[in-house]
Amino acid sequence: LEGTGVELGVAEASSLPEPGLPPVSSVLPYDEMRSQDGAVRPHYAALERRISTLSPAQLAERQRTLERFFLLQGITFTVYGGESATERIIPTDLLPRIIPAHEWDRIEAGLTQRLQALNMFLADIYGEQQILMDGVVPRELVLCAPSYRREMLNLFVPHAAYANVCGSDLIRQPDGAFAVLEDNLRVPSGVSYMLANREAAKRVFPGTFRGANVRAIDRYPDMLLSTLKSMAADWRPNPQVVVLTPGVYNSAYYEHAYLARLMGVPLVEGRDLVVHENMVYMRTTTGLKRVDVIYRRVDDDFIDPLTFRRDSGLGAAGLFNAYRAGNVVICNAPGAGVADDKAVYAYVPQIISYYLGEDPILPNIETFLCREPAQLAHVLANLDKLVVKAVGASGGYGMLVGPHASRAQRDAFATALKADPENYIAQPTIQLSTAPCLVDSTIEPRHVDLRPFVLCGDRITVTPGALTRVALRRGSLVVNSSQGGGSKDTWVLAGDAKALRP
Amino acid sequence: MMLARVADSLYWIGRYVERAEHLCRLCDVLLTATLDRTDAASQVARIALAAAGHPDPAKVADPYEAALGMTLDRDNEGSIVCSLASARENARQVRDQVTTEMWERLNLLYLRMTAPRADLAFSDGSASFLNEAIADLHLFKGAADATMSHGEGWSFLLLGVHMERAQLIGRLLEVCYVEAPKSTLTDHFALTSLLRMSCALEPYLRVYTADVQARYLLEFLLLDAEFPRSIRFCTQRIEEHLTTVSRHAEIAPHASPDRLAGRLKARLQYADMAEIEAAGAGAFLTNVLDECAAIHKALYDAFVAYPLELRLPA
Repeated sequence: LEGTGVELGVAEASSLPEPGLPPVSSVLPYDEMRSQDGAVRPHYAALERRISTLSPAQLAERQRTLERFFLLQGITFTVYGGESATERIIPTDLLPRIIPAHEWDRIEAGLTQRLQALNMFLADIYGEQQILMDGVVPRELVLCAPSYRREMLNLFVPHAAYANVCGSDLIRQPDGAFAVLEDNLRVPSGVSYMLANREAAKRVFPGTFRGANVRAIDRYPDMLLSTLKSMAADWRPNPQVVVLTPGVYNSAYYEHAYLARLMGVPLVEGRDLVVHENMVYMRTTTGLKRVDVIYRRVDDDFIDPLTFRRDSGLGAAGLFNAYRAGNVVICNAPGAGVADDKAVYAYVPQIISYYLGEDPILPNIETFLCREPAQLAHVLANLDKLVVKAVGASGGYGMLVGPHASRAQRDAFATALKADPENYIAQPTIQLSTAPCLVDSTIEPRHVDLRPFVLCGDRITVTPGALTRVALRRGSLVVNSSQGGGSKDTWVLAGDAKALRP
Repeated sequence: MMLARVADSLYWIGRYVERAEHLCRLCDVLLTATLDRTDAASQVARIALAAAGHPDPAKVADPYEAALGMTLDRDNEGSIVCSLASARENARQVRDQVTTEMWERLNLLYLRMTAPRADLAFSDGSASFLNEAIADLHLFKGAADATMSHGEGWSFLLLGVHMERAQLIGRLLEVCYVEAPKSTLTDHFALTSLLRMSCALEPYLRVYTADVQARYLLEFLLLDAEFPRSIRFCTQRIEEHLTTVSRHAEIAPHASPDRLAGRLKARLQYADMAEIEAAGAGAFLTNVLDECAAIHKALYDAFVAYPLELRLPA
């Protein structure tokens, strides 16, 4: 989950802004469980009734059951430093977050539309570049982005599916509408936590779960496998799929192993692969075996030292040439990350209407591009109200949270902005919605976001579930696991006439 | 067909698990034997420490500290906790190939051995601490037997177990029959302790009754066909599993490890106890241990670290 977080509102809302400045946000966040008059929303009613019958001690006992499940399964990340490396579990919250069917329908339609448009955009910018010719997206914005891979130009990608696995970060705004905060088309992680949270939640609230008519997510691994298989060349009847991991020291290693195990495919490291005459093989006990599809969980830069970073030991030399030759498929395609660039993000609504002729179903967060002089002037005039982010940076680095920054910090940032405006975007400070969480045996609201997972091969599938990330500190808006964030299970309810299976 | 790296890891899981179990037993015997302050007891302590790779005579003076170090010292690569950590680390690297049931067993044991208060648990009752560890390792093997497919991966796991077992028992016999003073071999207490260290007391008694003699003991631990910790039994399993995994590999016959394994198996199967005694047990044991090392190397060359040039498609 590292480095994939929501990079908004790094400072805590409870820390006091400078005197004389407006508060971060005067609107109350949307509460997932209760409406504004304090009444419990109907889809939370059953859970609320169940919780109210449990004593704090019983709740704590269930929390321990949950944690024991994660520890026993080895769903841990390693914390280095001190005498020896210790392993910790990802903080997990007991109470599920519930999304009713009609809200999910909208999310599903919105994500499908968005990924379809983004894949068409990628096929275009690595092909004819019509959208750049038509001036819908500035040419230099795309071609100069560090994540744009010229090596991918005019390369055949099956079904034009560049991003096969997509994890978008959604937030719920104070008015209750979902909006997309960030797309993630590189190597989105967290899906194993979605599945593991569900396993755990079934153990701690079996009755409520049964009564709620929750849509199943356990088919994710086989849907992922069929998506990957659909990417293989037609003349390879039984394609060999592998998961490529950077290795056991990667913080998401558990997820790589988990997915490989549930898909029943080998989990390979770069050193297991050999490229010979543009064919990719893995070293097995019975000799070399041809590989057709690589679901890689290694960043673009590291997959092939001959094409990308020369100091990489994580990939296989010659892999990209084998890909060019059409003898292997790499998922997601290298260079797909250019479509989740922070500056390109601002153009996604236009991209959707350009290719599909539709209005976006899920809106963006309002974004100011400092490259545009008029917008830069607006940003500079309102630095105390905005969050400014560097385009290339992630994980909360290189950003300014206007309302919480000192005058000196804002002045320093203004200088940086004027010197290199193309490198920055700005967004208003936003409120994440809150959901009830168990904190020290009492139930309190905490801020949450939502990361659903979308698959795209020969067709687009939205998994009816998501990872809900939680900012476990009171008032905090940071949901990154590296900064005190946790996660909780997400129940997407089936509508009345809806099939239970995806 | 499985990844060479995965086969390697499964093999080492088997080896480390077996090593941890053997060390638990050595520690247990070391601690119970030294409750008596006799010469024989300190001789047993010396044997246990030497078999565990700590021939330092100074350690015999404080068996509790020595056992504690052998069990929980994370800086000592030969300790039980380090063996378990290595087994678990290997399992983590092939987490997609071991079943959840196996992983949970191994992980639970590891978490208990590395818990912050593990040393207190050890001092509270070292015997029960060690016996629980052995029981957990048995549960791990049982879970593996019951839940893992008995295919190639299983064969590599058991190859590791039996290879390690053959070498550990071989080393233990070497310490007793070659390095220790001759008086050890006539001492009843030392001999029963040796049987305890190799978990052979009850099976031995069933075959030879309570007549504990150094000669029978050597025969039992070397050549018994049915006792799972005799070297002969181990080589039979090694040969079986090697035949299974060699079936699909394209290996040149002369380089094949199953030839070496078959030869060693036959040597033990048709060995004559009188001949071994006449030539000296030491020479025979050295030869067996060398053969085991050669099988280990051939296994690597054939399945894990083979030269790519020979395997590329024409």
